[in-house]
Amino acid sequence: MTGSRPFFKWTFLGSIFLWLYLPIVILVINSFNESRYGYDWKGFSLKWYEKLMGNEALMQAFLNSLLIATLAATFATVAGTLMSLALYRYQFPMKNAASGLLFVVMMSPDIVLAITFLVIFIALGIQLGFWSLLIAHITFCLPFVVITVYAQLKGFDKYLLEAAQDLGAGEWRIFRSIILPLILPAVVAGWLLSFTLSLDDVIISSFVTGPGFEILPIRVFSMVKVGVSPEVNVLATLLLAISLLLVTASTLLLKRRKVS
Amino acid sequence: MGFRRFAIILTLLWLGVFVLAPHVLVVLTSVMTADPQHLVVWPLTLEPYARLWEPLYAEVFWRSLWLSALTTLICLLLGYPFAWIVAKLAPLRRGVVLFLLIVPFWTNSLIRTYALKLILGNKGLVNMLLVGMGIVDEPVELLYTGFAVVFGLTYMLLPFMVLPLVASFDKLEASLLEAASDLGAGFWQSFRHVILPLTMPGVIAGCLIVFLPAMGMFYVADLLGGAKNLLLGNVIRNQFLIVRDWPFGAAFSVTLIGLMALLLWLYFIANRRINRQGGLDDDGI
Amino acid sequence: MILRSLLAAALLVASAVVSAEEKVVVYNWSEYIPDGVLEDFTKETGIKVEYSTYENNEVMYSKLKLQKGKGYDIVVPSTYLVSKMRAEGLLHKIDKSKLSNLGNLDPKLLDKPYDPGNEYSIPYLWGSTGIGVNAAEIDLSTVTSWADLWDPKWKGKLLLTDDLREVFHMALKKNGFSTNTANPDEIKTAYEDLQKLMPNVRVFNADAPREPFLAGDVNLGMIWSGEANMAQKENKDIQYIYPKEGASFWIDNFAIPSGAEHVENAQKFIDYMLRPEVAKKVVEELGYSTPNLAAKKLLSKDVLNNRIIFPPDDALAKGEFQQDIGDAMKLYNDYWEKLKTGH
Repeated sequence: MTGSRPFFKWTFLGSIFLWLYLPIVILVINSFNESRYGYDWKGFSLKWYEKLMGNEALMQAFLNSLLIATLAATFATVAGTLMSLALYRYQFPMKNAASGLLFVVMMSPDIVLAITFLVIFIALGIQLGFWSLLIAHITFCLPFVVITVYAQLKGFDKYLLEAAQDLGAGEWRIFRSIILPLILPAVVAGWLLSFTLSLDDVIISSFVTGPGFEILPIRVFSMVKVGVSPEVNVLATLLLAISLLLVTASTLLLKRRKVS
Repeated sequence: MGFRRFAIILTLLWLGVFVLAPHVLVVLTSVMTADPQHLVVWPLTLEPYARLWEPLYAEVFWRSLWLSALTTLICLLLGYPFAWIVAKLAPLRRGVVLFLLIVPFWTNSLIRTYALKLILGNKGLVNMLLVGMGIVDEPVELLYTGFAVVFGLTYMLLPFMVLPLVASFDKLEASLLEAASDLGAGFWQSFRHVILPLTMPGVIAGCLIVFLPAMGMFYVADLLGGAKNLLLGNVIRNQFLIVRDWPFGAAFSVTLIGLMALLLWLYFIANRRINRQGGLDDDGI
Repeated sequence: MILRSLLAAALLVASAVVSAEEKVVVYNWSEYIPDGVLEDFTKETGIKVEYSTYENNEVMYSKLKLQKGKGYDIVVPSTYLVSKMRAEGLLHKIDKSKLSNLGNLDPKLLDKPYDPGNEYSIPYLWGSTGIGVNAAEIDLSTVTSWADLWDPKWKGKLLLTDDLREVFHMALKKNGFSTNTANPDEIKTAYEDLQKLMPNVRVFNADAPREPFLAGDVNLGMIWSGEANMAQKENKDIQYIYPKEGASFWIDNFAIPSGAEHVENAQKFIDYMLRPEVAKKVVEELGYSTPNLAAKKLLSKDVLNNRIIFPPDDALAKGEFQQDIGDAMKLYNDYWEKLKTGH
């Protein structure tokens, strides 16, 4: 593990990735399977791809999901980073209550959050749809960002910050030039976690969204009534392909920049 | 000053409106009377809380607690070495590996669970392999067992352990480890006295964001485990959606949060006693 | 494309202000209306369909209840929920004079106790919960009734649906009671009988009972008719049995929530769905039964003779439709929790 045993190291990484990707590989294979249920291989076919291209509602839901997840993760990461900073550095009234509330969000069962969000949105007169969905997603992502970033802020050299303060640096400058670079890995981790959570939420979303704004998880779970269509496998395959393309492109780009 | 005030106001306002207010409603609901026609009606009562004393619910609670703890432990055992290895990679490679770690989780969890069923079933991949290699004669029952439940939960939650851990390894400077080894510290010694304490905040963060959500999770567990046992998530969901006894569902939820808060609090107290540094928080949470 | 959905989101906010456009907002299961039907409806009438989905009846009910029946023009509740929503004033009375195709419906499926006179609901699709058997593994003649599932030889082999009303249905029927009973003694008897069944259970399935049958993980258990039909297309050995004591029947109905904003359009929509050629398409694609007699005339022999889709008359006569049982649900759920925790 300490570098002297690379074989062990790569075997371990490899088996974890095998475990994580095996189900995904099955989905990818089945997206090309003629069979609707995917228990047997009944021949190569692109019919699910064709079907998906004609299924505008499903595509729209997929894009809506990506949009909400991106926005929710971004807002939650920004707000969550600020919150963890406030909790770590500043003294203010009801600070303990605030951190307690973050834990409450994480411990509340989905169904409870779902119903209470809906009640609050109705009370505030927020129309159900895009905005209500976004607010709800940001809120349930927040604790994950805060806990991740807060853990990084701990074990931080407080003297460094005090020194900067003594030198007359403003809070924003301290944050931008000292704190942010150090907590960046945690901020990125928080974003990824939020994006993942948001992309897969069903219960809360089905309560807080309105008729005009459909997202993918609700549509997929709703399909169980007539059987989940392999078109969803196609979506999974497409998303995987796009992700892999993105990561390859950015790696190549970064490498080239390094070389030149 | 502007930045600071903005951070504080944002925190209080957002949490106040979208977390505190809804949960005040939950607490209020938990002391109201259930009514099949109007969900909840006025006379305040503590009856929902009285019903919680059923020993049956204690069983459900322990079962959920045990499953979550086991899941958290397995995630930690797999996630810690994983994060360690990943953290030592060159920055570019590390980025790629972490990205690849999370990508499978962008696939809808329902169809991912279906794929897991295809792996674990009587005629699934694992059994095909085992029977094919002659290790067993009859397919082993994997699906619809307790094993499948833990398997599924671990699968769902692993990245939630790994990501905060990797971030915490980031702070571990190579020079520190070299210094330790120069001073003659063996692997285990430097692990116990240098590496573990420094990554402890990450361990705690990871455990929290695996353990707490796992307590309320039930859908994946039901699909893979065959729903033969109740988990806390099932009980609360059924009370809200099927029985429509909202006060009881709310009381259940409030009690759950209370108990978990108590556990966390005990943990932090104990943690502070044991070592003065390393807890998620010594001055708040 | 992302830009487009951003735009759509912006439009959505704007459309709250100006919504002069003719539309009907349908809240239903996804893919529960065949491809092309909605488009044809829009083409013919100029009414745009906004199609929103839910994953179970209960979510739909809670959402409508909290919104006081507002937000949607068409919902598709099952029988027991129709009786509940009707009693709570969550549904709008349907003006039957606007439904020119109402006469197509089978009188045998109308005027049921859950909505006498069908004042608030119009049947769309119906089906049943019976017994599924894999004939390649189990001799079909040995399974004819719910009671057969209690046989100790099925230890750890059965699939039950993860639906407490359906599971209790078996035991209530086996003991000769109604599936809608609120009598505590009868419910207790059923519970005690179910305790004996529990060791036989391999899995409670909440999403798609056909899957474990097709995967070979179970060969016997409860299954929904539509699922059995889908399973049979993939594996001919999977058979559907109407148990002697009576299967559990359900009807999904079109209904108009009390707060609907486009009642006229909703009625036009229901009338369109009642057309024989539309109903025919629905049966062929979804594999559930249609209450539409005029559509049956258009169906091929294969579909008509499919006993899973169209049950024999005596099976229908013996079966029972679920109704709302009010407060008794608490008792059922208490017993259900006990069963699942091994008491």
